[in-house]
Amino acid sequence: MEPEVVEAELVLPTHMRFKKVQMYEKYPKGQARVRWKHLKQIIQAENYQNYPPDEPNYVNIESPPSMHPSKRICDITGFKAPYLDPRTKLRYANAEVFRMIRSLPNEYVQRYLALRNAAVVLR
Amino acid sequence: MPFISKIQRQSDYSAFPSRHPIVIDNGGSYFRIGWAGESDPRVIFRNIIQRPRHKITGETITVVGDHNPALLKYFDCTRTGPRSAFDNNVVYQFEIMEYILDFGFDRLGADQSQIDHPVLITECACNPVQSRSKMAELLFESYGVPSVAFGVDAAFSYKYNQQLGICNNDGLAICSGFNTTHVIPFVNGEPVYEACKRTNVGGYHVTDYLKQLLSLKYPHHISKLTWEKVEDLKMEHCYIATDYESEVQLFQKGDEEADEKIRCWQLPWTPSLSEETTPSEEEIARKAALKEKQGQRLREMAEAKRFNRINDLENEIRDSENLLQRLRHAEEDDIPSILAKTRYTSKLEVESAIAKATQSLRKSKGEPVESVEKTDPSATEKYNLINVPDEALTPEQLKQKRKQLFIKSTSEARQQKKQKQLEEELERERQKKLEEEKRQENPEQYLDELRAKHRDLSEKVDQRKRLKTNGGHTNGNHNSSGGVGRGERLNSSQRERMRLLTTAAFDRGKGEDTFGMKDEDWQLYKLMSRDNDDDDDDDHPDLDEAELARVTSRLREIDPTFIFKAESGSSTAEAPHFRPLTKEDFQIILGVERFRCPEILFHPSLIGIEQLGLDEMAGKSIQGLLDKGRVSEERITNSILLTGGSCLFPGLSERLEAGIRMIRPSGTPIRIIKASNPIFDAWRGAAAYAAAMQFPQQTFSKMDYYEKGEDWLKGYQLRLDK
Repeated sequence: MEPEVVEAELVLPTHMRFKKVQMYEKYPKGQARVRWKHLKQIIQAENYQNYPPDEPNYVNIESPPSMHPSKRICDITGFKAPYLDPRTKLRYANAEVFRMIRSLPNEYVQRYLALRNAAVVLR
Repeated sequence: MPFISKIQRQSDYSAFPSRHPIVIDNGGSYFRIGWAGESDPRVIFRNIIQRPRHKITGETITVVGDHNPALLKYFDCTRTGPRSAFDNNVVYQFEIMEYILDFGFDRLGADQSQIDHPVLITECACNPVQSRSKMAELLFESYGVPSVAFGVDAAFSYKYNQQLGICNNDGLAICSGFNTTHVIPFVNGEPVYEACKRTNVGGYHVTDYLKQLLSLKYPHHISKLTWEKVEDLKMEHCYIATDYESEVQLFQKGDEEADEKIRCWQLPWTPSLSEETTPSEEEIARKAALKEKQGQRLREMAEAKRFNRINDLENEIRDSENLLQRLRHAEEDDIPSILAKTRYTSKLEVESAIAKATQSLRKSKGEPVESVEKTDPSATEKYNLINVPDEALTPEQLKQKRKQLFIKSTSEARQQKKQKQLEEELERERQKKLEEEKRQENPEQYLDELRAKHRDLSEKVDQRKRLKTNGGHTNGNHNSSGGVGRGERLNSSQRERMRLLTTAAFDRGKGEDTFGMKDEDWQLYKLMSRDNDDDDDDDHPDLDEAELARVTSRLREIDPTFIFKAESGSSTAEAPHFRPLTKEDFQIILGVERFRCPEILFHPSLIGIEQLGLDEMAGKSIQGLLDKGRVSEERITNSILLTGGSCLFPGLSERLEAGIRMIRPSGTPIRIIKASNPIFDAWRGAAAYAAAMQFPQQTFSKMDYYEKGEDWLKGYQLRLDK
């Protein structure tokens, strides 16, 4: 290791005096790493639907969808968007923006759509 | 507050007695660790790790938090990015969590055989018990912590501000963090989680949205738009519009007011040398001379090559003629022996070789090649059989006749074509003359007309090209869009064809079928056939393009100011390649983005998250509390505390007040307060809490944990008001 790296103590030591079980003992090399459950799996395993509904839990404190009509803004400029391009499905504000979105390559169109989670995902 | 990290190792760890609690605020963006009762955390770092490989030794190392990025040059960071232990706001990756805790305790100065201090650590509201028990287990088993307590960061923050007298006993904590936003009501100083609401939008989403928007707007500067830089931009320039619509209209109109609100980030840029001065006369002359010189050299080379070739050919002919001479004089028997030394096998071959060589010699000398047709014998002699009736001919002659007929017709056609070309040439010449006259008459007007024509034509050609390419490459994505997309892809003649086909298809059985009565009816099939529209599709642009080329060359001749905009389509998209880069190309402009990005806190649907915005959450939470009838409305709305990093946006409290006023009954007193320090208050509240006398009763030990089990841990809740 380079001296300046050592001096900055950039690298986390593998052995810590204050630990009862060291990292290398818990996760030895060559052994398959633990597959950590993602939040989705944690929620599933927790079986929240069996919990009493009046008690607060991680799932039922989540807020519901909004009651207000959703705001439609131009995907490119952020202006108010009265129009929707039927080909690309992008929302746009005026003719100028329309000309621009028609010249956009498909990849960019998809990225703009992905911003509001509306992109076509092929699995 | 851009990325402050405090990671110096503390030296006074042993000065604290073993019962003195350690307080950890385990936030989505920052990890803060320090001692109970102190006013500030000792160590702060970003709650991420990186595990790059050393470039030389190849060993994988762990880097926690932020370090001097210059030092990372020794490591290969391309394969792994920074990773967090969080999924949403829940800790799930306890291996990463352990590295982070290691680093935190190490920098706090821990040097004994275990962490012999109670630990108070924050978690999200209603943390799933799986995550909570894993965390407790980790602290007990790996670090030997004697006892642990869990608390909610927003609650500590509210408590701290309550103690400072900023907010009341009853109220609402609105905590907008890194991954999520919580609204937690308080009654008598205790959080009421039954009426708590969470929306999965936070500072992370704002930064990500800004980063994506900017990198779509400035694809050339994508390397400059790092996460850290965009986060800085967000903290420095983003604000919340009091009313999104009216604010956006300012920008749409392009008012002066909007101009003042636009921020511009100038990237480092050095003017390129070629751009600095338009090339001087001298320069141009020098370049022209250079070009001329190169051309001269090429011409010389070509000349030399030609000369060589002529020499070679002449030699070859001479040799062959010598050979022929010798063959003529030689005896019949000697011929094979003479030929054996050469590459020919017969006399005939030698002759034909001579003929060939002479012809190519003529060609390279630039003399006209004798065309075969000119040497044709007279037509009557050649086509002697044509006029003879078939009956008088033998089969052999009949064959010959057919051949002659064919040859005659083709040669005639050729002649006609030549004639036509000649005529066209003459016509063109005449037109040119006409134009020249026109020019002589009124040069100004003529030039204007020509320019207008050029403009029209180039637009037309462009449009056609665009139509063609558009039809081609957007095929992929609108199969789903059904009829609309299809209609757009067809050009006019194709559309006409489709119309004919469909009417033909649906016309059956309606009244009397008179189709075919008139001869014109059958023309329909001609129109319908596919070849038809292909033909005239290709025809027109050719004409247009030829005309454009002609006008362009003419303009080039007579108009010194005329600049032809690149051969290839001359579309605007390609323009930047041809013009030198300027200062403006290296600017990142923040206009609407300044308030568009934080707007997602109020309208999460803008980024596709269908949940309540801040104002509605508050309304919903208050409603939930009122339904339980535990407190009056005024007491709650009178003390709404804003805390968490994403509450730092200017304009947030005004907007929130307006939003809540719309939802709640009129006349409700609304008081919105900012926390004394939205970022540190959670840790400070926790530190104050851990220093209190009653804190030990709120903790649980390893023994408790294993005796009482998970069910108990699920119900575990820290009591703030002891």
